[in-house]
Amino acid sequence: MPVLAGLRVSAFLAWKSIQRGSRGTLALTIMIIALIFVNLVFLPSIISGVVETFNTQSIDFDLGNLVIEPREGSQYIDDVTGLQRKVERIPGIAGATFFYRGRNAASTLYGINPEDERSVTRIADYMTTGEFLSNGDTDAIVMGATLAGSEGEEAGGLPSLQGIGVGDSVEVAYPNGETRTYRVKGIFETQSFGVDTAAFVTSREISEVLGLDNQASIILVKTEVNGREEEYKTEILSYGIQEEILTFREKSGGFVDQAIQSFNIINAISTLVSLIIAIVVVFIVIFINTVNRRRQIGILKAIGIDQQIIINSYVLQVLFITAVGALVGIGLNAGVTTYLTAYPLVFPGGPVYPDVEASAILRSIASLFAVSVVAGYIPAWQIAREDILSAIRG
Amino acid sequence: MGRVEVRALGGVSLEVAKGEFVGIMGASGSGKSTLLHILGLLDRPTSGRVTIDGTDVLALSDHRRTLFRLNRLGYVFQDYALIGELTALENVYLTSLVRGASKAEYLKRSAEILRRVGLGDRMDHRQSELSGGEQQRVAIARALVNNPSILLADEPCANLDSQTSKSILDLFARLNEDLDQTIVMVSHEDWHKEYFCRIVTLRDGLIEEMVECRKEPHPGGGEAG
Repeated sequence: MPVLAGLRVSAFLAWKSIQRGSRGTLALTIMIIALIFVNLVFLPSIISGVVETFNTQSIDFDLGNLVIEPREGSQYIDDVTGLQRKVERIPGIAGATFFYRGRNAASTLYGINPEDERSVTRIADYMTTGEFLSNGDTDAIVMGATLAGSEGEEAGGLPSLQGIGVGDSVEVAYPNGETRTYRVKGIFETQSFGVDTAAFVTSREISEVLGLDNQASIILVKTEVNGREEEYKTEILSYGIQEEILTFREKSGGFVDQAIQSFNIINAISTLVSLIIAIVVVFIVIFINTVNRRRQIGILKAIGIDQQIIINSYVLQVLFITAVGALVGIGLNAGVTTYLTAYPLVFPGGPVYPDVEASAILRSIASLFAVSVVAGYIPAWQIAREDILSAIRG
Repeated sequence: MGRVEVRALGGVSLEVAKGEFVGIMGASGSGKSTLLHILGLLDRPTSGRVTIDGTDVLALSDHRRTLFRLNRLGYVFQDYALIGELTALENVYLTSLVRGASKAEYLKRSAEILRRVGLGDRMDHRQSELSGGEQQRVAIARALVNNPSILLADEPCANLDSQTSKSILDLFARLNEDLDQTIVMVSHEDWHKEYFCRIVTLRDGLIEEMVECRKEPHPGGGEAG
């Protein structure tokens, strides 16, 4: 019996069964497989989205790609403009900005050079009211929307000035006891928690108050290409820079790596449960199908159709159900992704958009097919190997 | 309570020549169906030998037995045993498909046989749309499509009224006479005897009587179609 002829008969029997069998059961099974597929793809896409959001928010608003910190034992980076220019001359570096950072319990005040800041972070692009600082500004401050707050806002865990607006005055107390009053020039909203609770004045203001002389707490470096931070770090170090250089991931202290590890454990459990559900559903559907067709299977064997052809016909039905289920799942997933792209999930680090990776889709399809084929093969094999007369008698 | 061993057949020795129409008769429980199941390779005897076209079929592996059923035997069941999801035509050409026949070849052959059994206008109907007699004709067409050496029929008229039964037996007679088709048929109806060339009567698993009967072509025979 030619193998191809056998496959042709399996496909023929499978297709007739799909075509003329119960439409309701078929649709329901396909829908369950589709939902399992969505579940397999959705969580990894959210985890990927969280990582992407963290990376983007960190680079665009908080840390740039690389961070240069004072040498060990020093509070400030000395000759900061000299170091800034040196770094900016390195090929592949898009910009560098330095700032003084002052913190109290709830919020952070940064002293920046506004034009340099624009070359590294994108905070200036996210002004909701007013304008970002300019190099020549005096007595001006910009702040995040969370810090500015809103009128009548209930006191929560976040710092809030209860509805400060552009043109209002705020008083800033410095660590040396001096206080200054600034006019609010603008309010920004980046949706990055750490940035939206911060405020910025020019570095000249802070240097005057604290008596800093060409010193800064930190230098942020923006590279031309994201994702190659380690290479740039090595490159900068090769220029003999003595200050400590960290990638934005290192600077965040492994927080994201820990979060990703936890997410991955949740994802593994969710994947396992989904695949077990897929196995159980396919097994039950094929088991009921084969038990109901026990007599038919006996007849097919009696008229000379090989057991393997019969088993293969059920496996092909499973492959069809899984393929259509995966396609419907891809459609559903595209719908969910489109919705969540328009209305993203809000995480403390910023808005999270699902990041559906092709590898995750391929992995989900492969695992779904693998478990479905096994779950379909076993009940078909159990019934098909039964004695012909017993099967025919039902 | 343990299992009770039932001896369905014992000491049956039977030779069927090419072109014979043999009727196996006997009371219920006499072993007729068991004998047919063994001849149709659907069951295995605990001992004995079955030779078809020179092949010791009991020595064949399960896979070879399946191939033997496909290529050399045609089996007609009492209750038609059609595949409900398939049309009459599909039921008939299914086994040709397994043999690797081309589409044009198996469609032509299956349609031709369905016309021969009088179902030329019912080819695209499914089992639920056919009468009992029509279903049995489809089953006969399916059994014949691969030119079997032997057509085995297990009480093919048991579920049919006498008029339809007669038409089915006439069809068997025509196949036997026109195509020299070897047929072994199980029956317990006395009036079927007139169709058989030889009647083997079983009783308690043994051959009680073997009678040569019809010598002349049966009046139901003649031109097929």
